[in-house]
Order: sequence, then structure tokens, then C-alpha cells
Amino acid sequence: MTFRLLSAAVLAGAMVLPAHAAEPMNDLEIAHTAYTAGQLDIRYAHLALAVSENADVRSFAETMIRDHSAVNSAAVDLITELNVTPQDNDLSRALVQGAADKRAELMGLSGSAFDCAYAQNELGYHQVVNKTVEDSFIPAVTVAPLKELLTDALATFKVHEGHAEQMVSNLQCS
Amino acid sequence: MQLTRRRLISAGGLAAAAAALPAAAAPAVRVRIRKFAFDPDTVSIKAGERIEWVNEDFAPHTATEADHSWDTGEMGKGGTASVLFETPGTHSYYCVYHPHMKARIVVTA
Repeated sequence: MTFRLLSAAVLAGAMVLPAHAAEPMNDLEIAHTAYTAGQLDIRYAHLALAVSENADVRSFAETMIRDHSAVNSAAVDLITELNVTPQDNDLSRALVQGAADKRAELMGLSGSAFDCAYAQNELGYHQVVNKTVEDSFIPAVTVAPLKELLTDALATFKVHEGHAEQMVSNLQCS
Repeated sequence: MQLTRRRLISAGGLAAAAAALPAAAAPAVRVRIRKFAFDPDTVSIKAGERIEWVNEDFAPHTATEADHSWDTGEMGKGGTASVLFETPGTHSYYCVYHPHMKARIVVTA
């Protein structure tokens, strides 16, 4: 099992995973990475609310905060119930760095340029994360409640992907 | 969550058409919210009956009349809300957080 899907450039700028990220991840690393991905999308959303004046973009951002917060809250509940500690790992660290770079890029934009960049990043981010969760994380996870949580979360993330696709289309970005 | 009449009114509701009911009365219909859809997406009840929504998704949802005349308010995962429909009519509703989620209620005499 490898996790190179997340190395797609679209995820967070031009992120390239370190070679050892191809090693199999354990349940605690997967949990940490999935949680991190949600938190990063929440941070993108807060940036959008600070910068964008587009009603659709702001509505999307508010939905991202609401939905990802709910999923991550459920993850925290599960972690507490299982009495385990998610493990930081190369992939989650690469995600954090890639998102920091992307936020820096977005902060240099305004108006429709920001809206389009944010919307396109949201679409790409959800496409890659969803594919990774579906094709790699869910099959690899061994703890049933975590597999169930990821499966339910994926349903949410797929709706976000569709919503992002619609947002990109509506913005008529070049 | 059990709705209160005050909440419905504060949402700009037509309290005469749709109102809260004490928890004691069982709903005529229970609508599940799962995978970002109302299930079933069309329900028929008689005037004076109640519908209960149960959210099975992680994401919070609402059931909100298209013209905002009634609104369940936010339901988190495992959350419920109910509305009493007192007069005949057809109600189209949706989730304000995920507007693609749409459904319909037919209330007969």
C-alpha cells in the first residue's frame, strides 16, 4: 500500500512527498493524516472568509468549517474512546507544509483572483484527498470504528468535491 | 433537538401551518438524513401529524421550508427535530447548509 496519491501537485501547491512516505501507514498515522487534512481545509476556509467578498465562496467556506469541524470532532471522540494517540508522520507533515505554502500564495491575492484560486484549490484538494481516503486509507485501516468513520467522512468530502466543482464553474475562472 | 413553538416563530414561520409538538406524541413519519439526502425524499401525512428528522451524517443539516416559513434549526449527528403540520398543503424544503438536499412534504386533509 502506498500513499503517493497525495503527492499530486494539486493538493498543496507543488508538494512532493519524501521517498519514505511510500511506506505503509498504520492506523494511528492514517488517523492523524485525515484529521490534519480536515484542519487544513478549515484554515483555508477561515482565510476565504477573511478575504473573499463573494457570497458563494463565503457560503462554501462556512460549510467547510462546519462540516470538517463536525467530522474532526467525531474523530476526537473516537480517539478518546479508543484511548490512543494519533501519530504525526511524513505525510501529515508534508500536508501541513504544502498548505502553508498555498496559504501564503492565496494571501497575495484578492477579489476574483483569490476566489478562483481558492475554489480551484478546494476542488483539487478534495479530489486528491478523497481518492486517497477511498483507495488507500479505508482499505488499509484495521480498526473497524476508524474505517467506519473514514467511510462516513468520505461521503461528506465527496459532497464538498461536487460543491467545489460547481463553485469553480460558477466563478467562470479562466 | 425538540423544537419549540417559539423557535419556529422566531424563524419567521407560519406557526398555523407548521408548529412544534410536545415530545410525547410519536411522529407520523420519520425522515432519515443520510449521505446528504432526505430519505424518503417525499412524504405524505395528514393535517395534524408530525414529521421527525434524524440526522445520521457527521455534517450538520437542517430541514428548512423553501420560503423559510419553518425551519428545524441545526441538527448535528444523531440529532433530531420535529415539526407539526396543521394545515393541508405541499411543502418543498431543503438543507440550508447543503442546498442540493431537497425534499417534499404533502399534507392532506
